[in-house]
Amino acid sequence: MSYVDAGYIIAFSVLFLYVVSLLVRRRRLERAVANVAPRGDAVQPSASQDGTP
Amino acid sequence: MKPVVLRSIGVAAIVTTAATIWLGLWVTPPDKVQGDLVRLVYIHPPIAWCALYLAFGLAALSSLLYLWRRTRSMFWDRLAASAVEVGVVFNALTLVTGSIWGRPTWGVWWTWDARLTSTALLLVLFLGYMALRRVPAEPEVRAKRCAVAALFAFVDVPIVHFSVVWWQTLHQGATVLNANLSPTIHGSMAWTLLLGFVAITLAFIWMVAVRYRIEVLRDEIGEEELEVSLAERRAESGTVEAGFASAEATPTMALQPRPEPAGHPGPTVVS
Amino acid sequence: MWRDALLVAGKDLRIEARSRVGLWQVVPFALLALVLFAFALGPGPVALRAAAPGLFWLAVLFSTVLAIQRSFAIEGGEGTRDGLRLSGLDPAGIFLGKAAAVALQLLVLQLVLFAGVVLLFGARLHTPWLAITASVLATIGLSAAGVAYGALSAGLRVRETLLPLLVLPVLAPVLLAGSRAWAAALATSPAGGGQWLKILGAFAAVYVVVGVVLYGPLQEAA
Repeated sequence: MSYVDAGYIIAFSVLFLYVVSLLVRRRRLERAVANVAPRGDAVQPSASQDGTP
Repeated sequence: MKPVVLRSIGVAAIVTTAATIWLGLWVTPPDKVQGDLVRLVYIHPPIAWCALYLAFGLAALSSLLYLWRRTRSMFWDRLAASAVEVGVVFNALTLVTGSIWGRPTWGVWWTWDARLTSTALLLVLFLGYMALRRVPAEPEVRAKRCAVAALFAFVDVPIVHFSVVWWQTLHQGATVLNANLSPTIHGSMAWTLLLGFVAITLAFIWMVAVRYRIEVLRDEIGEEELEVSLAERRAESGTVEAGFASAEATPTMALQPRPEPAGHPGPTVVS
Repeated sequence: MWRDALLVAGKDLRIEARSRVGLWQVVPFALLALVLFAFALGPGPVALRAAAPGLFWLAVLFSTVLAIQRSFAIEGGEGTRDGLRLSGLDPAGIFLGKAAAVALQLLVLQLVLFAGVVLLFGARLHTPWLAITASVLATIGLSAAGVAYGALSAGLRVRETLLPLLVLPVLAPVLLAGSRAWAAALATSPAGGGQWLKILGAFAAVYVVVGVVLYGPLQEAA
């Protein structure tokens, strides 16, 4: 394998892996936000029963 | 950024990158002087330009805009953080691709010439910013702190550049190592280089945009969890005072950045 | 601003005079560093004399980190930093005062280190004015940048590991220029030493100005 091949492979693998990591992180966070939000809504009604604003 | 726009940029980045690789590796001829090594020139300068000028410049500008009261907005803080992280990856790749090009050209994997030295120092400066960013704090406090750190680092860069250039000319190492890019580069090679710049820049924009969204989501999580914890406490205890009192235990926990799994490949490349 | 600076500098120096931490800890550390360098490089006089300017500045750099840590540790008590912030003192004045105090300590340190380098590494000073000017300019820069970064990391629990990582890369040009200037000062002819003074001067000017401008927001973020 030549230096050129090695260079291209390393450069684009790293970029690819980083892209994947970004997508994975984004999806995890989007799911987490979706999970937290409904819970927040569910708890609200009982809180308002106490007369808290 | 609208999802449609983001996706188009992403697709464009993939297409142009693929085209660059194809042209760079197969279509273009070897250089008279450098032979096949010139193919690395299609990707190394674009990566370097993105890292050093685009990423770091964006981070510095965003930090300035955050600190300036009239334009203060979390947008700039998040943009700076995103630009720095992507910049670290590109910076590390700059050093790696440069080193790979340098080994057959100069016979060594590394040398202390002006450009390499400055780029290496810049990487460490970036990493310092990321370390600072990971310290748990209120978003506004962290934003201000990081913005100041970014500017402190930024003003150092020209000083570093000049000192290192003078350092090298003193040791006359520079002459051997100046063979970087033949000034007249034409034909298919010129187009490929241009395409390389376009491709890498598009990829950079896409990455920063996605990383920005991640930053927004992280902050949302922090707020959501806080809301939920507060609401739960209020519901449990049934009184306002007790609810507020017990909620005090949760804010710092909720604002902690979430633990990341063994994430992106940046660190492995750097080490 | 200047009055506040004098006030703060006086306070920091008085604390040092009473506690003598700089004298009993930072200075010995710097001398220790010189000894360790000799262990690392071997006892051969030629190598050490050649490396002397660089090693001197390396020792100064590491000692600067300690001095900065100390400068902010004295305000580490409950609410002290808040007290300083709310005291109505001009932030720029606080910055200049702390930087001045650190600078003074660093200058004293360099005198001791110079003696160390002469005695231990066999260095000979041929062009004193170059060495002195370089030291003064470098010290201003080191103190200014150091105090700025010290304030940045002041309240953080990870301060010990974070401060060196943040500040040392920024101080690298001072190490470079200082070493080259001192190399010229220690060599038989000072050729080429003057240009490094420009770098040291530029660094000092930049970080004094930037520190003055940004210390306000920095304090709020501590």
